[in-house]
Amino acid sequence: MTLSTTRRVAIASSAQTALAPRWSDRQHIDLIAEVVGRTLKGTGIVIDDVDFVIDSGSDFLDGRSISNCGFLGSLGAHHKEESRVEEDGLWALAYASDKIAGGSAEVGLVVAYSKPSEGNVDNYWTGLLEPFIQRPVGLDQHSAAGLVARRYLASAGMDPDDLHDVSRQAWERAEANAGVLTDGAVDQDGFWEDEVASPLRRSDFSRPVDGAVAVLVCRADIAGDVTERPAWITGHGSAIDQHFLAARSWDSLPAAEAAARAAYRMAGDTRPSDYDLIELAATSTVGELMVLEALGFADPFGGIARYREPDGLSVNPSGGALPADPIMATGLVRLHEAASRLMGRPGFETAEARRAVVHGTGGFAMQNHCVLTLEVDE
Amino acid sequence: MSIAIVGTGQTVHARRRTDVSQAGLAREAVVEALTDASLTMDDIDSVVVASGPAMFGAVNQPEKWLVDALGARYKPVVRVTSGGGTGLAGALAAMNQIRGGSARRVLVVAYDKLSEGALQASISTLYDPLWGREFAVGIMGFSAAYWHARMKQLGHTEEAAALVAVKNRRNAMRNPKAHVKREVTVQEVLESRPLCWPIKVLDVPPISDGACAIVLAADDDALAITERPAWIHGMAYYSEADNGPDRKMVQSEPLQIAATKVYKSAGITNPFREFDVAELQEPYTCFELSYYESLGFCAEGGAAELIASGETQMEGSLPVNPSGGCLGANPIGATALIRLAEAAMQVTGKAGSHQVPGASRAVAQAGGGWANLRGVAVVGAEKR
Repeated sequence: MTLSTTRRVAIASSAQTALAPRWSDRQHIDLIAEVVGRTLKGTGIVIDDVDFVIDSGSDFLDGRSISNCGFLGSLGAHHKEESRVEEDGLWALAYASDKIAGGSAEVGLVVAYSKPSEGNVDNYWTGLLEPFIQRPVGLDQHSAAGLVARRYLASAGMDPDDLHDVSRQAWERAEANAGVLTDGAVDQDGFWEDEVASPLRRSDFSRPVDGAVAVLVCRADIAGDVTERPAWITGHGSAIDQHFLAARSWDSLPAAEAAARAAYRMAGDTRPSDYDLIELAATSTVGELMVLEALGFADPFGGIARYREPDGLSVNPSGGALPADPIMATGLVRLHEAASRLMGRPGFETAEARRAVVHGTGGFAMQNHCVLTLEVDE
Repeated sequence: MSIAIVGTGQTVHARRRTDVSQAGLAREAVVEALTDASLTMDDIDSVVVASGPAMFGAVNQPEKWLVDALGARYKPVVRVTSGGGTGLAGALAAMNQIRGGSARRVLVVAYDKLSEGALQASISTLYDPLWGREFAVGIMGFSAAYWHARMKQLGHTEEAAALVAVKNRRNAMRNPKAHVKREVTVQEVLESRPLCWPIKVLDVPPISDGACAIVLAADDDALAITERPAWIHGMAYYSEADNGPDRKMVQSEPLQIAATKVYKSAGITNPFREFDVAELQEPYTCFELSYYESLGFCAEGGAAELIASGETQMEGSLPVNPSGGCLGANPIGATALIRLAEAAMQVTGKAGSHQVPGASRAVAQAGGGWANLRGVAVVGAEKR
């Protein structure tokens, strides 16, 4: 059961590095230090004012056990309360939000980072599988997404080519997003045609990138000193599906639906129609459509219509996770994008949006989902 | 709001639990904790999983695998990790979920199945990949240097640490869940094979498979679940940058900071007199001595004298590790939560054959990483 938030929690500031296929001249600590410094800059908050740090990253991607241990200095966590949430950074933000809402702290820093270019992304994904039955049959993240897509397309009466509407929009917007280095990925030979796992092509999969993102959260009564226009965290919820792939639904994401239900309820029994901006994360085009539907922004199998006949709702104005997926940081990047727009920060298109839904996902074939709702005062 | 531990469960710990998978191991502890609280998974709003570094068990994000075995489908499940002290970091995350209003009852499960991974090789990856890893020999070399520094600066002897081995291994004899049950003498410890001097085989905990689970609830809800909740009087978990040039190694500063914060909220001014029992996570014998000082059981440098006095034995005025501590069982990712669960069992009179008579207030300590992640919790029979 979920209770209403006892105290308001503000997003005071956020920053991300450029998301690039490979930051070969910068270490993890460089990316982290950049976003921590830029997040604090101009807020009047210095690192000594920060009560705690919650970070997200992956030991498997980093190739280090307790990898946060090596990054504590750059995280600004020295002699502070610190914990690692080994899941997408949106869960770390939910932790920080609870910590402030419950009155245990006033100011917190949430950091998520990713350098998949240094590791083997395929091993990261297959390492998630249960080792006795699932790993030996050769299941991997691509074949799992392909199986899901085949069922979804059949249920929706869609053709694989229809998915180009989703990926084309994502990459066009990423091209216009200064925070994403697209490096001409869409112009490479075979990008739109090469089948990775039938019926999905290269253009249907999210592209792993390096990068870091940080978010400064604080109690309501000090938010006004830190920023003119804080974004309020009004609700959050998360839910996980079963691990065994064959036990899950093939053409819908009931766990994402459950996560959204919890967040909407915490936000004061809101409905999807109360929101005008969505930033959502997905590892494939079909995944993006299924998230849209699970969050209540399209009917089942009707997600594609949003790309063909856009209405007032703004979906992934940043381009979303397909062009830039810094694994473990992707959801928190969505949050940074949504909050920056709501708060009308320079460099972000000024939309009229006042309420946003942010979604993050984790696990093999999008097993786990987190939804967070934001709003700014009128 | 006061939060309490309303149920605890532990597996039988052993070198190899070949009868269960990692998911089955976690389930075993969860079933016992839910039974202890007379609850089912339907009553649980949220699950926090804590396990050792994922490489230890060779499964990435193992909490995802546990979902089916725990019956946690469509619930919030998240893993909090913080090296060896991760169980306490997980319990702290759970407390924040309850305080922040996103959950009412939270299940915390911590486990490690160390028989399924390459432990010291995985630990060695803690060190910097570009410089440092080529010198690394698991965590033992670091710990030996740490102990040696304390011996040189404080004049502590190998015998002082051996007394910890003797005490904890004797206590483990009475703990039905313990993995290693073998009494040793000071002489045997001193004469045991050196692994990385001054650390010798009998100073070292076993490598175990095991899991622990607790259920947390608040105020009237906790009292509706059980007549004897273990109320949490304070809990904190602090870090120290591992490469901090001003890092003070002889005392653990993050532990001192955490203890100061927790003692303040728990109203503790004289830890040695006010606690009835302590459960400390001692990865090697020398660390228990260091924690005596950082937790304020004695003055800095006074740990050797304190262990020699016998006051931390079962019959003493502040028994430390009645469970046998890590020397009794060491499923790394679970050990911190085991300390907390054991502390809760003591103050609720549920510790059975290793119960400290009349215990009503206990301190639990946990730590991980490069001796740089440190947590403290105080639990009591009285609501506070």
